[in-house]
Amino acid sequence: MPEIAFISELSAFRNRIMEKRNELKGTIAICGGTGCQSSSSLKVIAALMEELEAQGLAETVHVRPTGCHGFCEQGPIMVVEPDGIFYCHVGVDDIAEIISETIRKGEAIDRLLYTDPVTGRKIKTESEIPFYVKQKRQLLAQNRRLNPKSIEDYIALGGYSALAQALNGMEAGTILKEVIASGLRGRGGGGFPTGRKWKECQEAPGEEKYVVCNADEGDPGAYMDRCLLEGNPHSVLEGMMLGAIAVGAQHGYVYVRNEYPLAVEHAKKAVEQAREAGLLGEAILGSSFNFDIDVARGGGAFVCGESTALMASLEGRVGEPRPKDVHTVVEGLWNKPTVLNNVETWANIPAIILKGSDWYSAQGSNGSKGTKILALTGQVKNTGLVEVEMGTPIKTVVFDIGGGSATGKPIKAVQTGGPSGGCLPTYKFDLPVDFDALYDAGSMVGSGGMVVMDEDTCMVDVAKYFLTFLQDESCGKCVPCRLGIDRMLEIVTRISDGGGKPEDIDLMEDLAFTMKETALCGLGKTAANPVLSTLKYFRDEYEAHINGRKCPAGVCQALITYVVDGEKCNGCGRCLRACPHNSIIGEKKKVHRIDAELCKKCGICRSVCEFDAIHTI
Amino acid sequence: MKPQSIESLLEGRRSQPHQLIEVLQDVQKQYGYISEEAMRMISGELGVPLMDVYSVVSFYKAFHMKPRGKNIITLCTGTACHVRGAKLLLNQATGQLGVDPGNVTEDGLFTIEHVNCLGACALGPVVTENGSSYHHMTPGKLRKLINGLRDREEEKATNA
Amino acid sequence: MVQYVNMRIDGSHYKVPKGLSVLDVAIEQGVCIPHLCHVPNLSDIGACRLCIVEHVVNGRSKVTTSCTLRVQEGMIILSNTDKIKRLRKNIAELLVSQAPNSKAIQDIAVRCGVTTVRYPFRNDDCVLCGRCVRICAEQWQAKAIGFVGRGKDRRVDTPFGRKSETCKVCGNCIDLCPMTITPCAGPMKPGEEYLCSKCESQMLEAAGVPDQCIWCELGKGFQCSRHLGGHA
Repeated sequence: MPEIAFISELSAFRNRIMEKRNELKGTIAICGGTGCQSSSSLKVIAALMEELEAQGLAETVHVRPTGCHGFCEQGPIMVVEPDGIFYCHVGVDDIAEIISETIRKGEAIDRLLYTDPVTGRKIKTESEIPFYVKQKRQLLAQNRRLNPKSIEDYIALGGYSALAQALNGMEAGTILKEVIASGLRGRGGGGFPTGRKWKECQEAPGEEKYVVCNADEGDPGAYMDRCLLEGNPHSVLEGMMLGAIAVGAQHGYVYVRNEYPLAVEHAKKAVEQAREAGLLGEAILGSSFNFDIDVARGGGAFVCGESTALMASLEGRVGEPRPKDVHTVVEGLWNKPTVLNNVETWANIPAIILKGSDWYSAQGSNGSKGTKILALTGQVKNTGLVEVEMGTPIKTVVFDIGGGSATGKPIKAVQTGGPSGGCLPTYKFDLPVDFDALYDAGSMVGSGGMVVMDEDTCMVDVAKYFLTFLQDESCGKCVPCRLGIDRMLEIVTRISDGGGKPEDIDLMEDLAFTMKETALCGLGKTAANPVLSTLKYFRDEYEAHINGRKCPAGVCQALITYVVDGEKCNGCGRCLRACPHNSIIGEKKKVHRIDAELCKKCGICRSVCEFDAIHTI
Repeated sequence: MKPQSIESLLEGRRSQPHQLIEVLQDVQKQYGYISEEAMRMISGELGVPLMDVYSVVSFYKAFHMKPRGKNIITLCTGTACHVRGAKLLLNQATGQLGVDPGNVTEDGLFTIEHVNCLGACALGPVVTENGSSYHHMTPGKLRKLINGLRDREEEKATNA
Repeated sequence: MVQYVNMRIDGSHYKVPKGLSVLDVAIEQGVCIPHLCHVPNLSDIGACRLCIVEHVVNGRSKVTTSCTLRVQEGMIILSNTDKIKRLRKNIAELLVSQAPNSKAIQDIAVRCGVTTVRYPFRNDDCVLCGRCVRICAEQWQAKAIGFVGRGKDRRVDTPFGRKSETCKVCGNCIDLCPMTITPCAGPMKPGEEYLCSKCESQMLEAAGVPDQCIWCELGKGFQCSRHLGGHA
């Protein structure tokens, strides 16, 4: 990788790469993201390369391990170019046939193709698959086209052209204006206008400034940032470089959570490559812009996703937030002006600079421009990463893209925005994916997590789940959060256990108001949202628990009893063997019985029964 | 654990208090835990008061002050995995191994950890063990996995 | 040259040195804003949240802690609105239900208007105000004690829980701790906690003149900075 000392050299370098690629017979892109890795995609990649080598095709067929393609349910995913043939659930045993039929003859193998669940027909290319068709994959589409460990791939696709443009006579002020005009709002959860944040930092007094990438992605159920950073790290770095030019920063940090080792590895490698190419360091592309980036790891603390806690962590201290009477754009990292943005926010910047703010702001809704990556998970058929234009109705995401309920049971709600967000019932699914619309409805877009819940989900249990999570993650410094979450959880647990009192609802609302107004940081301030939104839309469930001592969804252990259905039980004994508490009695081929005294309601018996003979009452 | 090795981890980082977390990450990865001896050395070499080193080690989930089991079974309890029954897996693991999350089994072989989201949500429930990850887990599959690990340990012990 | 700024608290005008916090001004000027974790001459961490006030900017008010808010020219502060009173009462209620076995905490509850406690009592012996940690670190540079753990498990401790090697045996940590004096009617055993509310005269005064300092006995109890700082 030679050093690119001047802007003119960048396009020359790009042309040389493209020439080499034109000589290839074909390219195979295989997802090597964390998700597919758990489906053994690495073995598939290794086997493929071995076989191509053995057949003498290694020179003409290029294997490209890529980042996440988004359709995680169907992994390992393989796309064969130039035709774009899309294969799912590829295994090591499929390699020989793929080479002989698809590579050599250009023919598609039916059994590996995606089957449309509605029509039953096989679909050949990605561009015809409904899951993808309804999306607008501005950012995610790139993942398939590049190997995250190759800066050449990134440059070949036009990467670093925005940087070149910015350094070629574009003033810092112009970059700032473009980002402001684009209407881009923070993708990490806050939704704060990015351009305004940058402007405040640029105007803050002081020479020493920083830009930081928040890759702490702690919302359980969200993995968009992991996918972007693992799959296309250079796009994030380029965004940071552009931000640094705009605000006048000399150094940047990418703060990656401890639980994402692959993202850390890819980010570090990208930084190394950028340095080698002269795109980080001194006099970048022959200009007077000096800038470098370091990758830092988190220590395992959700609260470090909060900007001041993250900065404390970068400084080697405990990740405790501090009051933000003075904003971090004025006094941030080491008390210097700092711009902190989310991974997806940074990844949006290069295209805004290249294609212009008009292009960007033409997409999306009035208050929310551009596209948003969502992590669609839970009880929905097509789980994975989805990118849609802002303003897309939730129902489109859940039904048209997601394919509706995975379990056959009706969908009840969708939880958006992680622990800071809320649950929306199905009758609210006309609402658009839009910062203000979801906030007004009592939830939020947040970082993009969207968990679909069917009728077997108890909303009181959901509130309890999030409070338990937040209690574990609270830093513990301030009273409203540390004690507030604790007491709120105490009340919800009591309700879930059948000890709820009518005055509990008023108390929870008063406590929620207190936490929202007085907690020191965003974690505490939004901690009551899951309770508030489930109270707002599912109050009847709370009342059933409190007044009727019943859990309508059949989840809250204290309020349900596991019983064997005498009609369906055939005495196979599977449940008896699986029960960790020895609470099932029965003889072979005879109807079994659950001893309610010993039963701990863990639900394992129901999950192993193949005859649907165990249920709760 | 010889002081020498921690020395090498401190190369290029001396007198830089902000490197504390990076150093601790490396020590944790190498030794599986952070001992008092390690903390004292890090405190001296980086120039961070011992109280602060101790505070940081006790604050972050990634750092452990005691050695853990040989096999660390991590269960994801993120929202998506929770909705798909992660709790059943936790019950299965704690029941089968007879130990609470975070502690070591008596034979020193296993520790169960639960983590708040591994980021593979579409494939949940997810379990990872010693670098390998498994998806769409069920209590039955987990039971087999743990038994398999135990068999592997027994083989190692008899072959040793 | 000390720079001064003009600001308003509850309608009254004040001309105060730049660099002070709103709480500093209130303490100096006799405006009663209850506080627990603030100690004169130590850093402010905004942990207890009792000193909250409404900061009015462009017609909109934001609830923030007065100990961390530095005064600015033209600043408008409201320290005793109904909203603030309700929030403060709720915070004090959380505190007293958590650690009722302390005169200071009981006095704060009275001062903030708590009359009923809606949570089951617990009997903690530390409210994590951090006064001890800060005086040890900032006044003596000893850092013999510090915060350890996180969230529910957060506590004050020495490294490894053993006798400190850097403690200067100054006793300041004990002096400042709000938990060292038990309620007037005697220490409360676990299971026998209650809301004290015995200082009826103090309660009447507190209810009657909520926003002015009246040199109440309550203040002594939680070492209100007017008493601590020896303000005349």
